Formats: sequence, structure tokens, C-alpha cells
Amino acid sequence: MRRILLIQFVFLAGIVSLAAQTPEERYSQAGGLYGSGDYSGAAAIYRKLWEEGFRSRDLLYNAGNAFFKSGDNASAILFYERAKLLAPADEDIDYNLQIARSRITDRFESVPQLFFVRWFDFLALLTPTNIWAVAALVMFLVALVLALVFLTKARARGRLLSFWLAIAAMILSFLMISLALRNNNLVNHNSKAVITCSIVTGRSAPGETGNELFVLHSGTTVTVEQELGAFREVRLPDGNKGWIRSDCMEKI
Amino acid sequence: MTALVFLLACLAATAQEVTLTVEAPESAVAGERFRIIYTINSTDGQFSPPKFDPSFSVQGPQQSTSRNVQWINGDMKTISSTTLIYYVVVGTPGTYTIPAAQFETKKVAVSSQEKQIIITAGGSPQQGAVQQQGQVKAAGDAPASGSEVSMKILLNDREVYAGEPITGMLKLYTRINLSGIQELKLPDFKGFLKEDIETLPLRSLETEVIDGVQYGTGVIQRFVLYPQVSGEIRIEPAGMTVLVQERTGARDPFFDDPFFDSFFSSVSTVPRKITTQPLTVKVKPLPEPRPADFHGAVGSFTMESSISGTDVKLNDAVTMTVTLKGSGNLNLSGEPVISFPQGIEKYDPKVTVRSSGTSSGTKVFEYLLIPRNTGTFEIPPLSYSVFDPKAEKYVTLRAGGFTVKVTGTPGQEESAAPVYIPGEDVKYLGQDIRFIRNGKTRLATVSAPLVSTLHYWLWFAFALFVAVLVLLVRKQQIRRNADTAGVRNRRAAKNARKRLARATALLKSGNKEAVNAEVARALWGYLGDKLRIAQSDITRDKCYAELRGRKADEEMITELDRILTASEYSQYAPVSEGESPAALCERAGALIGKLDDVLD
Repeated sequence: MRRILLIQFVFLAGIVSLAAQTPEERYSQAGGLYGSGDYSGAAAIYRKLWEEGFRSRDLLYNAGNAFFKSGDNASAILFYERAKLLAPADEDIDYNLQIARSRITDRFESVPQLFFVRWFDFLALLTPTNIWAVAALVMFLVALVLALVFLTKARARGRLLSFWLAIAAMILSFLMISLALRNNNLVNHNSKAVITCSIVTGRSAPGETGNELFVLHSGTTVTVEQELGAFREVRLPDGNKGWIRSDCMEKI
Repeated sequence: MTALVFLLACLAATAQEVTLTVEAPESAVAGERFRIIYTINSTDGQFSPPKFDPSFSVQGPQQSTSRNVQWINGDMKTISSTTLIYYVVVGTPGTYTIPAAQFETKKVAVSSQEKQIIITAGGSPQQGAVQQQGQVKAAGDAPASGSEVSMKILLNDREVYAGEPITGMLKLYTRINLSGIQELKLPDFKGFLKEDIETLPLRSLETEVIDGVQYGTGVIQRFVLYPQVSGEIRIEPAGMTVLVQERTGARDPFFDDPFFDSFFSSVSTVPRKITTQPLTVKVKPLPEPRPADFHGAVGSFTMESSISGTDVKLNDAVTMTVTLKGSGNLNLSGEPVISFPQGIEKYDPKVTVRSSGTSSGTKVFEYLLIPRNTGTFEIPPLSYSVFDPKAEKYVTLRAGGFTVKVTGTPGQEESAAPVYIPGEDVKYLGQDIRFIRNGKTRLATVSAPLVSTLHYWLWFAFALFVAVLVLLVRKQQIRRNADTAGVRNRRAAKNARKRLARATALLKSGNKEAVNAEVARALWGYLGDKLRIAQSDITRDKCYAELRGRKADEEMITELDRILTASEYSQYAPVSEGESPAALCERAGALIGKLDDVLD
């Protein structure tokens, strides 16, 4: 019985490997294409991997590079932004993103984020959301145990210490929960989008009838505020708002 | 002294009559300038000019005064005069009247005559009569004709390459006598860079026979043109006014001789405008591709290079000279690019152009080099491409390179004047993104975020629930423990007395051992309950320590010890010895009463 199972398994694995390469193989294949100068081919493989749900800092970074080299600046910025969400402290991503941004048409006097928001986001992105979530749970348990010690051991020596430790652990736990939520928001529900159409008009109302407010070019990063039909209301880096067709942008 | 002169002048003025005369030509050509001159034989007074016709454009007046003092036979005679000259140009032909001008002194007011002036249409004047020295020229004797005086721009080539120099000149041809040139206006040579060649002022004409006609010719201006753009370039006509000398007076049919003409008849000067024909020059663009070392030089050149020394000391200046010789657009030839080796400081070259009048000459580039490092340095041979318009192709000129040996010790420069060796910033050639990462990466599909699942939050609730449960159970336990101890504490004395009562009851039965055992039990039970010590691990020492801790009298403790010893001893010892059980009961009862006071 076991032998039959084993044979079946080997057979199945053979079929799978015949049908498709492993993601790692495809990843290194794309790297080879990039090295030989076939940038759009590499970009297509990277994009496919991303669409299949594979996530890795290097995958997204390489995808950005491949799109940049093949001339698709908007997609390059999109993937660099995505990579930045996985690795906020990666200096290469920052550098390449800055170069890609310097090649786009639209220039904005952007309002910088408040420093503590930036710090908080940075902290939130340092590890994936689930690690924050598990850490928060563990910290919560520690806080509960310490609280129990404080409440039950009437004349124990470390009673005061356990009280303060319990308070600290509780605060840490809540902080980690908020970091996990923030990370989840940034990574999975990011409201930022990159304009992919080479030129698109922002209007005062959803639909083609609204007054024209501004013109955006590909590569500009906007914040999506709400969605209505095939239109999205976006906020520009300088604070202005307008409605843009949804198919002209891709969310980070 | 001034006052005296003024007085004399006033006297003189009173002595003679004031006159105001006007001089103006009877006719003039439209668009040409003529003069109206007012002369007053007085210096003080107010001159009010005439009201000129609106179509007159008037410049001036140019005012001059003169005073003559003469002594004749001891009499002083002062002649003073004021001259006012107006320069007038009238645009439209017609007959005009110059109204009278006024002159007022303190005493008299005089006015000039009115004058008629005929303005003829442009071109050669039909009546080239100009009043000159008060003589009137006879009408109908106009010798002027267009071909008698002409001017031409002569170019050595009309079809050139861009940048190829063209030498040209502006030449005057005349068959009649001229007395001068006025208002030379050269075109602005759009599309060319023009360089004037120094030309001597025209003093005499040379004789030249063209098509059997003898002309007096003269070069007015020589120049070199460098075409800057390609295509058909038009040169606008140049204009000039010449002063033509014309004979006036009746011509004697018998003495038709130039000698007599000039002798007997007077001559008047007439301004006449002449222009050149417009020209076009065809400029061909330089053929592409241009060599990399082409720097705009067009012409036929030779090049040579030299250096002031090849064996030099550290920090001693060396001059490398590159000489470009030949004919062409030397002024517009850029400097050759020499890649000097690192370690030799190079300064911008000093450029001198020696041109021999036309476009041929030499251009010298002097490079000042200062070796900043010792060793052997190779200055590579240099190449310089020029376009040869004759051969219609690029010619690459080559000149030799040099090997410079630099000796000396680097430390010496400290003793000499401090030399600043400039550090060099890293040169950034371009900007590009960084390369991809090709190392192994962990490609994993990301699991769903825990924070968006319910069971994650249920874990928190569950943990909290368990904690609360544990807390409640533990609290209850503690409370229960606390309760039993309290009850026993409160009932300790009561229980002890009960036991003691049972002991006194046993006294009647005479069972001494049983009585003593009951007393000991009563005491131990009391101590255990009161001091919260379990009966299993109660000892005397523990009790005493606890009692001392609760500030019991040492007397009480010894009493307790004695009773305990007595009761326990009597249990195992023979009956006769020791106290009577009744006394022991009494003492124990008294002690418990005392202890109760202390322990409550």
C-alpha cells in the first residue's frame, strides 16, 4: 500500500515538473534573461510570479528593474513601491525608485508625512503582519500571567515588579497589534496607486462629463480615496483631488 | 575788461545797421540733405527761426559766432556775425516756400527774405542746379547719367562651403570727376561673419579699361566673409553718395577743351546716390559625417607641434606649441583636443592668430603644462581634421607627440613656494539603476493576514477568559483558607476551655494520665489555632518563636513550658511525682486566659 502511494507521488511530481518549472527556476531564468538584455521577457516572468502570489523583496526589486530597463517606468515605480513595503530599509530599492521617479513627467511639491507617521510605518513594515500578530498574542499572554501573579500572590516579594511588567507587556502587546494592523493595511489594502496610462485627465466628477481639472502622466503615484463605477477619486501628492478612470491606474 | 568789450560791441552795434541774410538752394533732390544758412551781422539779439513746412525734416541749427576787431588809421572797427545753419531733408517733391526768419535786438527787428525752393523727384536731378558761391548754373546742361558712376561688390568666389572664406571688395567705377564720397552704407551681410581688411582711404583713382571704356576705379573697402549658414545667401546692395563735380557755365563751342573748361567755367559739386546690385552666394554645407577631431577649420592648412623641453624638473613649466598654418578660416578654427596624461597640469591654451591681410596666416596654440609628478609621460600624437574645399573632403593633419621625462624629488616643493595640488572629484558619467539581485530568494505565497481572521482575535478572548477563570478559582481558594483559619482562631480559647473542662471531669475518675493528656492537647490545640500553625508540624520552639514575635511575656513562655513539660512528663512518669492534675488544670486555664489577652 505504501509503495503504491510512493509510486503515485513520484509520478505526480514528474507530471508537475514536466508541466511547469518551479517558481525558483523561473525566477533564475528571468535573471538570466535580464543579464542578456531581454528586459521585457524578464519583466513578464517576474510579473507572472507576482500575479501567482509569490512575494519576495528580491522578486519585486528585480521586477522593477526589468520594467525600468524595458522602458515601462510606471510599472517600475509600481514594483519598487511594492518592494518597499516588504523591505522598507533596502537602500537599493530607494535608489532605483528615486531614479525611476526622476524620469517621469509630473513634478509635485509633495507634502512630506509627519515624522512619527513615517517612523511608525517603517516599524510596521519591518516584519510581516503575521509575525507582529503572533508576537502581540504572545505578549498578551505574558501580560496575563504577570497580572495573575500580581493579583494572587498576596505577600510575594516580586509583586510590585510583576505589576509594572504586566503593564509594560500589555502596552507592548497593543503596540504590536496596531503595527500588525498597519502592516496589513499598507501591504494588503494600500490605497496608493500608480498611473499607468501615458496621459489621463482628472475630472471633477466620475464620468466623462465632469470638468477637467488636471492632466496626469504615467508613473505618478496617487492615493485612492473612493471608488464609483469605473472611476476612482484620487488625491494627488500636492493635495488636490479628482476623478480618474480606474483602468488607468494600478494599485500598489 | 569784459565790460569794456561789451560796451564797445554795443557801440559798434549801434554804429552799423543790422542785416539778416538767408542762403538756400533754389532746388534740391527729394530725400537728400541741403542747408539753409542764416547770417546776421550782430551777436546779441533774439533769433526766431522761420516756420518750416511740415514736410521738412529739420536738423540744427548749428550756430557759430565770430567777432573781428580792426584798427584802421587809429579807428577801431568791430565786425561781429552769427551764422545759423539748418540741415533740411524734404521727402516729397514740389515747390516750397521758406518763410522769413526774424531777428530782434533791443532797438530794431529785422526779417529775412522769403525763399522759394523746388524739390525734384529722386534719381538724377533734372536740374542739378545748386546755388554755389552765388553763381547760377544754366539749365539744361545736365551731364549726369547712371552709368557714369557705379559701384560693385566683387567676390572671389560665389559658390563656397560653409566656413570657407571669401575675399571681397567694394569697388568704385567712374568716368567723371568726383570730389568725394559720403555716407557709405555697407549691407549687414546676414549669414556671414565679416572681417574688414584694412583699406587705405581712397585718394586717387586708377585707370582701367573695361569694354573699351576708360574708367577710374578705386577700392573703397576690402573684406573677408565667412559663411555661417548653408543655402543661397543674398547680399543686400550697398549704397553710397558720391559728390560729382559738374561743369557749370555756357560751353563755348570753339573752345571745347577740358583745359579751358576747367579754366574758364566754374565747377559745382552735386551729391548723387549710387547702389550696387544685390548678389547671391551659394553656400554648400560641409559633408557629413564630420570626423571627431574636426573643430570647424575650413581651408588648406599644415600643422606642426613643438615643445619647449622634454627633460624637465618637477613643477617647472613646459610649453607645447601647436601651429596651424595656411589659408582658411583661421579665426573660426577651434583648438585641437590633446589628451594630456594625468599628472601633468594643463592650462587653457593661449591662442594667437597672425593673419597676413587676407585669410591666410598662422594660428598658434600655446599650452602651458606643469608636471606635478615625476616619471615619464607620453603626450600622444595629435590629429586635427580640416575640410579642404578644393579637394572637397576632410583632411586629417597629424603632428608628433612627445615623451616628457620629469625628474626631481617631490619633497622639494615644500621648500619652494607652496603648490596647490587640486584634488579631483570623482567624475560621474551617468546615472542608472542598480543591477538586479540574482542570489537565491525564498519565493513563498504569503498566507492570509492573521489580523483579518476572527480566530486570531478569539485567541485573545480565550486567553483573557482563562486568566479570569484562574483568578476566580484562586481567589475563592484563598478566601476559603482565610475563613477556616479565622474561625479556628476565634474559637481557640473556647475549644481549649472545653478540653480543660473535660480534663477536670476526668479528675474525678482518678485517671491522672488521661487528665494530663487532655491538658496537653488543650494547650497544643490552642497554640496551633491561635498561631496558625498546622498540628502536624507544631513544635515547642516554633511556638515560642512565634509567641516572642507577638510580644508575649517571657514569664508566660516559661509558664507554658513548665505546664507542657509537667503534663507530658506526668504521662510517662510514675504517678506520685509532680503536681496534682487539678492544679495543672487550673494553671493551664489561667495561662490560656493570659495568652488570649496577649494574642487577640
